[in-house]
Amino acid sequence: MKSLIFAIIMLAALQTQARPISYVGGHTLMFNTGEQSDNIYWHYTPNINYSIGLDYQQDKVSNEYFPSARFTYLVNRKNTATSQRNLYIKTGLGLTNSDNHFYALTGDWETRRLFSGFSAKQISGVGYDLFEHSVKIGVAPYLGDYGDLHTWLMIETKKDDLDNKRTTYPVLRLFKSGALIEVAYHKSTDWTVHLMYRF
Amino acid sequence: MKKILIATSFLLATTVAQAGHHEMDDMHSHEGHLHETMIDGKEIVVDPQRFDIFVTGLDNSQIALVSVQGMVCDFCARGIEKTFGKDKSVSKIDVDLASGKVLLAYPAGVKIDLAEIKKKILNNGLNATDIQIMGI
Repeated sequence: MKSLIFAIIMLAALQTQARPISYVGGHTLMFNTGEQSDNIYWHYTPNINYSIGLDYQQDKVSNEYFPSARFTYLVNRKNTATSQRNLYIKTGLGLTNSDNHFYALTGDWETRRLFSGFSAKQISGVGYDLFEHSVKIGVAPYLGDYGDLHTWLMIETKKDDLDNKRTTYPVLRLFKSGALIEVAYHKSTDWTVHLMYRF
Repeated sequence: MKKILIATSFLLATTVAQAGHHEMDDMHSHEGHLHETMIDGKEIVVDPQRFDIFVTGLDNSQIALVSVQGMVCDFCARGIEKTFGKDKSVSKIDVDLASGKVLLAYPAGVKIDLAEIKKKILNNGLNATDIQIMGI
C-alpha cells in the first residue's frame, strides 16, 4: 500500500515540473508511466490565470482506474529580463469517488540556466490521508536557442508523513519545441517516465 | 531496455550540450550585437547575424522589435510563435531566447497595434517592456 501511494505521489510530483498553465488557448497532454501505475493528463488554458484538466490513472496492481478533474490557479507571477517566478494553487477531485482529492501550493523560480521549485501537497484517498512536501533544484548544462534540444539535470528531495522518510532522486529532463521527456529514478519505484506535448 | 534508453539520452544531451555551448559563446559576444540609435534616442540592440537572417527575403516591411521579460524557456518561445502565427498581418516571427527579444515582420502598409502585441505577449504569461518599430 505504501509503495502504491509513493508511486502516486511520484507521478503527481512529476506533473508539477512542467508549466501547469500554458499560453491562452493552449492544450497540454501528459503521459506518465511507472512501475505501479500509468496515467494520462490533459489540461487546457482558457485564461492566463488558470488551467482546467482531466486526469485518468490506472493502478497496475489492482487494475483499477481513477479519473479526476483538475484545476490550477496562478496566484502570483514575477517576470524579469532573465527569470520567471510562479506561485500556484492546485486541486484535483476524483470523478467517481470524491474521497480521492488533493490540494497543493507549488512554486518555482527559473532562469535559462537554473531552476528551483517547491511543492506542499495534502493528498486524500480511500483509507489514507497524507501531507508531502518537496524541493527540487536543477541546472541546464548548456543554453540552447529556441528549437534546440534543451537539457536539465535535476535533483528532487521529498518527505511525507506516511513513513516520515526523506527520499532524494535524480531527474533528467529533455525538451524540444513542444515535446518534453522527463525521467526519474528511485530504488523504491525504479524508473518513472513522464512525457508531455504542448499544442 | 529502459536503462539503455536513459544512457542514450544522456549521451545525446552531452553531445548537443557541447555543440550548443560553442554556438552561444559566439552569439553572446558584445561586438556581435548591432547597436543603432533611433530618432527618439532609444538604442536598439540586436544580434546582427540574427537580424540579417530575419530580414532576408523581406522587402518593403516593418519590423517590430519586442523586448520581453520572463522568456526563459522553449515553451515560452513556442507559445509566442504560435500566438503571433495566428495573426495574418504578421509575415515572419523570430524568438531569441538569449536576448529576450522577439522580431515580428509586417508589410509596410499595415498599422501595427502595439497594445495588441503587448496583449499577445501577456497571454503567454510574459511581459513586453518595450516595442520599437523599424522600416526596411
